[in-house]
Amino acid sequence: MATNHDESTRLYHPYQSYELPINAQHLYKLPTSPEYLFTEESLKKRRSWGENLTFYAGTCYLGGSVAGAAAGVISGVKSFEYGDTTKLKINRILNSSGHTGRSLGCRIGAAGLIYAGIESGVVAYTDRDDVWTSVVAGLGTGAVFRAARGVRSAAVAGALGGMVAGGVVAGKQVLKRYAHI
Amino acid sequence: MGTPDTTREPCPDCILDDMGGAFGMGITGGSVYHFIRGIYNSPAGARLSGGAQYVRMNAPKVGGSFAVWGGLFSTMDCAMVYARQKEDPWNSIIAGAATGGLLSLRQGFRASGRAALFGGAILALIQGVQLIAADKVASAAQQQQVFMGEAASLPPAQVYGQSVPVPETSSASEAGSGSWFGGLFGKGKQKGSEDKSGSKTQVLESFDAPPVPTYEFN
Repeated sequence: MATNHDESTRLYHPYQSYELPINAQHLYKLPTSPEYLFTEESLKKRRSWGENLTFYAGTCYLGGSVAGAAAGVISGVKSFEYGDTTKLKINRILNSSGHTGRSLGCRIGAAGLIYAGIESGVVAYTDRDDVWTSVVAGLGTGAVFRAARGVRSAAVAGALGGMVAGGVVAGKQVLKRYAHI
Repeated sequence: MGTPDTTREPCPDCILDDMGGAFGMGITGGSVYHFIRGIYNSPAGARLSGGAQYVRMNAPKVGGSFAVWGGLFSTMDCAMVYARQKEDPWNSIIAGAATGGLLSLRQGFRASGRAALFGGAILALIQGVQLIAADKVASAAQQQQVFMGEAASLPPAQVYGQSVPVPETSSASEAGSGSWFGGLFGKGKQKGSEDKSGSKTQVLESFDAPPVPTYEFN
């Protein structure tokens, strides 16, 4: 009689999560879309540019410094000499992990910042947000990073960056579709 | 202590955001400073490239140290909030002290203690300034409300409710807000499906309370 099975709502039985033999006399119609209190929030489709920048810079810095620290610990352990006391060993490990972690973290963090900036700029300029945005942002990041070594190396690095960025985005979509992550 | 801050992400995710924000600030400030230094320290004719070289060498390091400070501070802040289960300026002050102490732990206990005191003092200053500013803003808003009168509460909500359906397109959010606002203007209940046992089940809009049961034997 009534079209209560349209796409926008789903029926909810209040006791559905409990294993009780209660038959509901009242079912609720819950909306299937996320419920927002303010409509301006519901119309927002993606992060703002500031959020994008801080998120990418922070994640890349954290990832880079953790990876660098791990590599530094390994190289510190490798550099142990015969007759080292424990204090010396700990000192070597701390020094090398700190040094490698700091430098790698800074570099990858700067890359993330530039990538996020270019991506936000492209999205703001062209109003579209798909694989090509990431590819262009990767291109720009690679180019900026090797700009000091000359135009040719900047172009090569840009192409590499664009391919990596496009590969990551496409890979994520493929993973979502086929591996159900 | 006042309203919670709704502009920041909740605690674990805010660490990444704070780290990134601090990194951005450090790199920007470091770039400006080292560019000027590079221009100053370079021979004429190579000033711009000298400035760029200085920036490339030194700015990421400044950014990195800011990021470490910001990340550690945010982690300690979240840890304090979790430990004390409240949101206070004290969390930030203790977090600042802990960050300062941790970062100079390798220089020995005395240096670490001094750095902890400095960090705590700086954050206490910042929190004090924030409290005073918040106080002033709150009292100014209160005064404004008193001057405006009672024109605040009901009409704007209704006006807003009517003008909202206009910008909605076929986005998925339309259905959610549509049913919310539609119900405000009285859509009414619909008769629902049959239940398993054969008794009639009513389907309600999500915000409708079920009718109070009558004590009759069916």
